[in-house]
Amino acid sequence: MSQETSASVKRARKKKNDEYKVKTSMAEVKRQSFLIVTSAIFLVYGFIFYYVPLGGWIMAFENYKPKTGLLHSKWVGLAKFKFLFEDATFIRVIRNTLAMGVLNLVATFFMAILFAILLNEVRTTLIKKGIQTISYMPHFLSWIIVTGILHDALSANGVVNEIIQAFGGTPIMFFSETKYFWPIVAFANVWKETGWNAIIYLAAITSIDPCLYEAASIDGAGRLSKIFHITLPSIRPTIMILLLINVGNVLNAGFEVQYLLGNDVIKSVSDTIDIYVLNWGISQSDFSLGTAAGIFKSVVSIILIVIANNMAKRAGEERLF
Amino acid sequence: MGKSKLKRAKGWDLVFVILNGIFMLAFVVITLYPVINTVAISFNDGIDAVRGGIHLWPREFTLKNYVTVLGKQNIKTAAIVTVARTVIGSALSLATNALLAYVVSRKRFLFKAQVSLFWVITMYVNGGLVPVLLLYKNLHLTNSFWVYVIPGMISAFNMLVMRTYMQGIPDSLEESAALDGAGHFTIFWKIISPLCLPVYATVTLFVAVYQWNSWFDAMLYNRMKDEYTTLQYELMKLLTSVMQQGGNANNMKSVASGSRVTPVTVRSAATVITMLPIICLYPFLQRYFVTGLTIGGVKE
Amino acid sequence: MKLKRVLSVALASAMTLALVACGGSSDASAPAATDSAAKTETAAADNGAASGEIIDFTFFGAMPQAEINDGNEIQEIIAQKTGVRVKETWLTGQTAAEAVGTILASGEYPDLIDAGDASVQMYEADALVAWDDYLDKYPNLKEMYSEEEWNMFRQEDGKIYWANVFCNTYGDPKATGHNDEAFWVQARVLEEAGYPEIETLDEYFDLLEGYYAKHPTLDDGTAVIPYTILCEDWRYFCLENAPEFLDGYPNDGSVIVDKSSGTPTIVDYNTTPTAEMYFKKLNEEYNKGMIDPEFATQTYDEYIAKLSTGAVLGMCDQNWDFNYTIQDVFKSTGLDLQGCNYVPLGLTAEKGQENRWHTYADTLNNSSGIAVTTSCKNPDAAFKFLNDIMDQEIHDLRFWGIEGTDYLVDEEGLYYRTDEMRANCADEAYKASHMCQYSYMPQWLGTSRDGVNAMQPSEQYSEFVNGMAEPLVKVFEAYNAKGYPDLIGSVVEENGPWFPMYSYSNAMTTDTEGGVAWTKIGETKHEWLPKVVMSSNFDGTWADYMKAYDACNPQAFLDEMQVELDRRANL
Repeated sequence: MSQETSASVKRARKKKNDEYKVKTSMAEVKRQSFLIVTSAIFLVYGFIFYYVPLGGWIMAFENYKPKTGLLHSKWVGLAKFKFLFEDATFIRVIRNTLAMGVLNLVATFFMAILFAILLNEVRTTLIKKGIQTISYMPHFLSWIIVTGILHDALSANGVVNEIIQAFGGTPIMFFSETKYFWPIVAFANVWKETGWNAIIYLAAITSIDPCLYEAASIDGAGRLSKIFHITLPSIRPTIMILLLINVGNVLNAGFEVQYLLGNDVIKSVSDTIDIYVLNWGISQSDFSLGTAAGIFKSVVSIILIVIANNMAKRAGEERLF
Repeated sequence: MGKSKLKRAKGWDLVFVILNGIFMLAFVVITLYPVINTVAISFNDGIDAVRGGIHLWPREFTLKNYVTVLGKQNIKTAAIVTVARTVIGSALSLATNALLAYVVSRKRFLFKAQVSLFWVITMYVNGGLVPVLLLYKNLHLTNSFWVYVIPGMISAFNMLVMRTYMQGIPDSLEESAALDGAGHFTIFWKIISPLCLPVYATVTLFVAVYQWNSWFDAMLYNRMKDEYTTLQYELMKLLTSVMQQGGNANNMKSVASGSRVTPVTVRSAATVITMLPIICLYPFLQRYFVTGLTIGGVKE
Repeated sequence: MKLKRVLSVALASAMTLALVACGGSSDASAPAATDSAAKTETAAADNGAASGEIIDFTFFGAMPQAEINDGNEIQEIIAQKTGVRVKETWLTGQTAAEAVGTILASGEYPDLIDAGDASVQMYEADALVAWDDYLDKYPNLKEMYSEEEWNMFRQEDGKIYWANVFCNTYGDPKATGHNDEAFWVQARVLEEAGYPEIETLDEYFDLLEGYYAKHPTLDDGTAVIPYTILCEDWRYFCLENAPEFLDGYPNDGSVIVDKSSGTPTIVDYNTTPTAEMYFKKLNEEYNKGMIDPEFATQTYDEYIAKLSTGAVLGMCDQNWDFNYTIQDVFKSTGLDLQGCNYVPLGLTAEKGQENRWHTYADTLNNSSGIAVTTSCKNPDAAFKFLNDIMDQEIHDLRFWGIEGTDYLVDEEGLYYRTDEMRANCADEAYKASHMCQYSYMPQWLGTSRDGVNAMQPSEQYSEFVNGMAEPLVKVFEAYNAKGYPDLIGSVVEENGPWFPMYSYSNAMTTDTEGGVAWTKIGETKHEWLPKVVMSSNFDGTWADYMKAYDACNPQAFLDEMQVELDRRANL
């Protein structure tokens, strides 16, 4: 029965997505005038605030100087891009950024869903509310605080090494070996953001029709089975949408965490695109280089989400556009 | 279904509940630690805190850090501006994002894919500091309060979260209202919105927290305008100034020594002070997405 | 080239929309600004203090500093006396270049600015008012520098646009402190060894080893760390630039200037035999276990925490980077009485070599300073203000405070502070509401015009010795020193007109080949130097490092530095 429930939840979804193939006709346009006018107004807004500033991308093709401004700075064509892609370091920071981006995405995504579902299984409202409130508090701590505590805990005589030694292990120098850095960053992200990220899933869970759970209980479904056949399928659209959005963000693996946790010994794995841009662009007053790197990131992001979106479309899943 | 299966399910449930309890306990301990640690440091003497090793309780108790933070000039103006931008910003964002989400979640809408794509792209592109500044300047948004609430008003992320939620609402509701002659705005206002309170609460929380914590826009667009300063900007200024331990080699003067506050303790106090109001606001929103409101009936 | 065309067409169309408006208004605002500047110049003379009205100016400093409150008491007094009040805003959460870039783009400049390393950008954008017409009118400003020194501030168009306000001594120098770099050692280590003369790196480490052998732990059981090295981010100077000093050269920062051949020549201190010797020594000590095994991964906070336990016997660092904090901690924990305070030593590569760790003479950094912008409606009043605040009376108000409240005067006319006053002047809230230093505006070090006091309290001898712990006093007695500079014993001599060369390399950008090389060198050193120190095969790692170093094309950087050196030498 539970399988059936989940299948029917899925089927209902799918139907909604594919059922409506509306023909464009004058009558239909007229019927939708409210929708069209409203979206047009927002389109104007979006164009002004999000698209017009993209004119600044021209900076990437010139040697921007404040004196000459956007319009009269010297045109250098693709020189800035050439500079980036001919530098072996830049290729290395792309690798680092991607690796940490993917690792963070997987870890934070998985933990947020897991936490939301498990929290939903806590039945005492007061405890549930309490845990939830605590869980999102680290979101308000700045990275410098969180990384400071983490650095302390993982130092040679920090608490983690004390535990390792108590079990007879040898202390680990977490910050001088390259292999630990990416997992540490992923952990830091999970630590700080799990509770916060879970909020969206909790909201989605509230919309599940309780009748589904009741029916499943009557059929003798256990908790795990209810999670897998009711809760998860019901929040699946939310999961898919957030997954798609985040796939486009893998190159935005960040700056602060790596900057604060990294050090010279493990530079080869800790530097990200944003740190590179700071070192080579911003601190040298070179806005053009940063813009070029930004364009590169945008292009990659958009390619990634278009691919991911098409895959979702083919699989009949929820999609962005 | 047999009775034995029911029993087995109950047995597993017990295991599940116990494991879940352990997981939650571990989770709470791990997430609560940095928060308590921050509170402890915020009540500790700055010079003493330099030695490190403060965990759950202050070693040398003092209120000096809070006095320093609350004594910062402009803190009152900043608090008023921040509350204003949080309230106005959240209201505006909620209204516009919800309306837009309603439009693109209509299955019959002819341009839903195109409009969605238009907004999705905005999440991944960015014109950069200088062009944005020039734009705002030409729109006369700089040196004004409105720069806080107008530019970021619609965010594709929040809109998409709402859209997804609205798509999950059965079409039959909309259809029957349409049969009764209700227009789109009525359907949006009377039928869809009341069902969307959980996601509205979520988005309101996101926007409110974003507004509450913002400072970069205050620094960039209202640098010389004290009347539009924000809380986090004032705290940021305080922090960078306390942090200035003669770090600039050009300025080889002695930095006043003897002050009992340090960046670490002031930062902690500032964090606690900004966190408190949000935590107080939280229960009002939380009831929507933790206990939830349900369509026709109390959920258990 | 298809891609290029597509890109430019796409961008151009977006641009037109964006910038028709933008371009128009910024073009329009530029002449308006100069216009009003010209107009007010004539009216300026009889404006201001004379009319009894107070002019409000704005100032932006591209460095983080503490803000003062509106209605600050001393600021108001100064406003009454000079007719000008300046509202100061400081850098927050951005780099200087970023902040100045956005200020320039917005076209709304503050009246006064210290743009830090981005000062040249302000000049290039024609955003600054030349000082030349005002210098003769305002003697206090003129007095700041000699004709030759002023010439060093001249830009390509031959005019002066800013003046650096720091490290400028009036009359006799009063310095008792050493705010520069040194190898430091705890006073108790020297005491136990019987106050020996420590001149070389070998002697220094022998000293640390000797003490460590006898005291491997502190009384509370904490393990003693004989030597640690901070190398976090920009603070890695604690590791990288000692070879320059060990060879007896002053702090030119990025390079050595060798004058031995008659014509000053740029020398790269990263590749000298001394550099190799220094890193080899560190490597040796590291492998002996004398160097903190965590040195390469520690953060600044962790470094300071370690020092503050008293467990670290020595390190190489700039005084301002650690000592103000550490002295406070030691005082409050009583570790100062146990001789934990740090004493600077002037080490060299060879015994008996001259050293130049301490800079006696003023360091003239011509790459940045206070400037008046073209947005200022009354530049004359601005320059007059900069002049007036150098009057002794106002200078005393700025740095000493109000007589009777912030300092007292003894029978001999010497200023001094009581403990309570000292505590007040260190208090953030008191400073914000009461003290107004205008800290990035023209000021003096050295001796006050009254001939006895120091211009700034930090240089007053009574403030220096006040509260100094017994072990430190004994060190000064043992070496017969009157202040830290005597302990280091650097050669007293005038630096060349090019000094310091870092004022040039700091402002380098990736526009030039040398600038690219300079950034690459930095990245390479960051990555390799800790490896070199921790290597189990020094010679091999050093060779690899040198290979990576050569790949940065350091010659391009050195050549550009040489060109600048020649220019400065011939000023």
